[in-house]
Amino acid sequence: MNTDLVIGMAGSGGDGIVSAGESLLTAAALEGYHGVMTKSFGPQIRGGESSFKLRVCTHKVLNSGGTLDIAVALNWEDFLKFGGELPVSGSTIVVYDSNTNVAIDKIPLVGVTPAEVFAVPFEQMARETGGSDRAKNTVVLGLMAGWLGIGKEQMLAGIRKKLSKKGAEIVDKAEKAFHAGLAYAQAHPLQQSRTMAEPEKPTAKFVVDGNDLCAAAAIVAGCDFFSGYPITPSSEIMHFLGREIWKYGGTMLQAEDEIAGIGAVVGASFAGKKALTATSGPGMSLKTEMLGLASIAELPLVCVNVQRGGPSTGIPTKSEQSDLLQAAFSAHGDVIRPVLAPVSAEDMFGVTIEAFNMAEYYQSPVIILSDQEVGQRKETAEPIDASGVKIIDRRRPTEKELEKYTRFRLTETGISPVSHPGMKGGNYLASGIEHNESGAPTASGEMHSKMNDKRLKKFNPLKRRRDLFIIDGSPDAPLALISWGSSAGLAIEAHQLAVKAGLKVKLLVPKLLFPVSEEIYQDFFLSIKRGLVVEQNQQAQLYRLLRMYVDVPRGIETLAKSGSNPITPSEIVDRLRHISLALQREKQHDQSHG
Amino acid sequence: MSTLTARPIEDYTAKDFKSTLKPIWCPGCGDFGVVQAIYRALANIGRPPHEIAFISGIGCSSRIPGYTTAYGFNSVHGRALPIAQGIKLANPDLLVLGAGGDGDGFSIGGGHVAHVIRRNIDMTYLVMDNQIYGLTKGQLSPTSQRGRQTVSSAHGSMESPVNPLLYVLGYGAQFVAQGTPADMNGLATIIEEGIRFPGFAFINVQSPCVTYGLEDQMLKAQKASMQTLASMGHDPSDRLAAMGLAQEYGEKLYTGVFYRNPEPGPTFEGLAKERQAALKGTVSSRADVLNVFKLKT
Repeated sequence: MNTDLVIGMAGSGGDGIVSAGESLLTAAALEGYHGVMTKSFGPQIRGGESSFKLRVCTHKVLNSGGTLDIAVALNWEDFLKFGGELPVSGSTIVVYDSNTNVAIDKIPLVGVTPAEVFAVPFEQMARETGGSDRAKNTVVLGLMAGWLGIGKEQMLAGIRKKLSKKGAEIVDKAEKAFHAGLAYAQAHPLQQSRTMAEPEKPTAKFVVDGNDLCAAAAIVAGCDFFSGYPITPSSEIMHFLGREIWKYGGTMLQAEDEIAGIGAVVGASFAGKKALTATSGPGMSLKTEMLGLASIAELPLVCVNVQRGGPSTGIPTKSEQSDLLQAAFSAHGDVIRPVLAPVSAEDMFGVTIEAFNMAEYYQSPVIILSDQEVGQRKETAEPIDASGVKIIDRRRPTEKELEKYTRFRLTETGISPVSHPGMKGGNYLASGIEHNESGAPTASGEMHSKMNDKRLKKFNPLKRRRDLFIIDGSPDAPLALISWGSSAGLAIEAHQLAVKAGLKVKLLVPKLLFPVSEEIYQDFFLSIKRGLVVEQNQQAQLYRLLRMYVDVPRGIETLAKSGSNPITPSEIVDRLRHISLALQREKQHDQSHG
Repeated sequence: MSTLTARPIEDYTAKDFKSTLKPIWCPGCGDFGVVQAIYRALANIGRPPHEIAFISGIGCSSRIPGYTTAYGFNSVHGRALPIAQGIKLANPDLLVLGAGGDGDGFSIGGGHVAHVIRRNIDMTYLVMDNQIYGLTKGQLSPTSQRGRQTVSSAHGSMESPVNPLLYVLGYGAQFVAQGTPADMNGLATIIEEGIRFPGFAFINVQSPCVTYGLEDQMLKAQKASMQTLASMGHDPSDRLAAMGLAQEYGEKLYTGVFYRNPEPGPTFEGLAKERQAALKGTVSSRADVLNVFKLKT
């Protein structure tokens, strides 16, 4: 019995690849399994190559897994375009359409001999049962249901539901296509079974993706206004709110450009509403002046950056974590803007609520650094209960304070009550220009220092929030494993594997990336001799950011790769093993010379 | 008439809208007259200052919100319109004013003008057009005449000026007017009309720069050359006639209302309100939004 399987499938755009993956994930989730599904496409608007990679597990996982257990190629040309995104190894079962006329011993996979290879007449089966080659994906689903032993009834119910409008004949054909796949599986049992064990909890899961969940969480947090500009891979946030926000009394404005998008959000916040904008790298570059304005005017807002390959247009459809330094230091001037990163799609709920609360409490823009992986992958989640969620609203002036209101009063905490238009007595001038306590423009160096101090010191309590960090493992472990964002989903799993393998390693994942919580890192580093920082960017941006603020032990190394180059938990464990051996050698060396 | 101005009118005088901040403008600057005209218009409208949001960009004229008692927002260069729209959409009950110079509105922020117009957001936008960049000390502006010599055009401008009136008429603006502080009563009336118009109102104000401006732009010269559209018998419901007159921008100084749509179209915020009302009954609490992630068997 298996507890953890990865299935990959590729074909051309019209093959219904992604919808097949989604059907399989939905069926598994309804039975209580967990899963993570990533999709990948060629750059074409329609058609072109298309793939999914789905990891199905009996337990919660935070990444779409490493090498494939089952690889399905509807044609080899498209399959091969995904390279390392659909990794095949000696334990993979390879299935391909026999209409490709490739002999089983001639499949074009270089340097690997798969465990088993099947040339399946998918197209022929689809034509014979479903009446058209478009039923190929349904045949594949039947085959998967057969070999994995999951989702049969759910997928058949899904077929009936999806096609019921098209009439009984169409439903019947699709069911036959599914059963053909199922029969093939029964006729061709695998040498090593790929049947899934029962799920840990047989209760139905939610299926979420980071972008949709971010948008939904914004509504739960009290967001009443969204404005943004379409950009891959963040647009789903706008799409979702364009459908939903009106129901809750809010407004969505598709702006004429990225600047106008965040500009309208600054305006809505000034008017007293919680507001959100979302973008990706190029849009983030355009929005930075407005982030500075919101910082000096001390207006709450949340800005999501669903990162993609950069710089400039980069690789719009592929995930990368290369905007960390930009997020930390975006816009000019002496300023801090909190930066939060979710480690999974499911985590986006809590992180988005936190971002709104933080923005409101500190009267500041807060950046959520998501990425294409977290934003667009489908993932199972335990049903989310919003009833216990704590919502924070900005500190508004009391009636007494409105009698003699001072918008930017220099308080001990740096936080001063904020009024909004409509509030009698609260009238003030908000501005991007430096101002005094009442809001009047000033060029005084003395006042500038005081206001900078106010705007910086208000974040001090934030740096002590340990709940914004995942810290795991033996406190005196000498090895560190640090990661953030979607890469953390790999590191968390790698940490469990490494501990199981006997490595003395502890894990740190910051969800708050900026301001850098110096004390939390220093405490963590007390026992650390060596370690590894894992992230999906070329320059090791988190590692460099930490070195700017914290005494990072010299033995910390980096595992940093540009976007869409896979990092796997086993690769992380291998690196940790090497680092551990090096540490042992160092110790022996010290002892023999000591 | 917009929902704002339909409210009970309280007794206000121009003084109630004047703040205690002392303007940084040069003595004789046209903007002094503009702010006075705004005080008068707001007194006539009768909305209390705390229900007014006044947003500007950057430039000499963009200091103007701070000189009123309204909620002001002196934002960043060229972005008064997006911010103003966010404010109006977040709280449609507010009276929203936008202001800035010709550089703010037609150069760095020029991309926003078309869009606020096609959304028809109920606000009034005043551009203090002085054909020069005053705050940065005298460079070419988008409305500077071809050939004009400035510190940034030592050998003369090689570009044609923007025609703000024709631009906004072309974009489909439903209220387009021009005024000058050379005619304070006329300007105050135009601003009041703009505010009362139930949709986006554009007002170009020929507000001279006394430091870097040309002689023929000064208030005295304007007084001699200006012609009111009313005295010319112009029918402000005639959009094509308005465009014909607007063609003469830069040559003739016409003041008054060029165009006022007699049947104003819907505002964005009005449509938003309808959509919110139509969809409201489909949910009971904010947590309902999570139902979309529930799988259906």
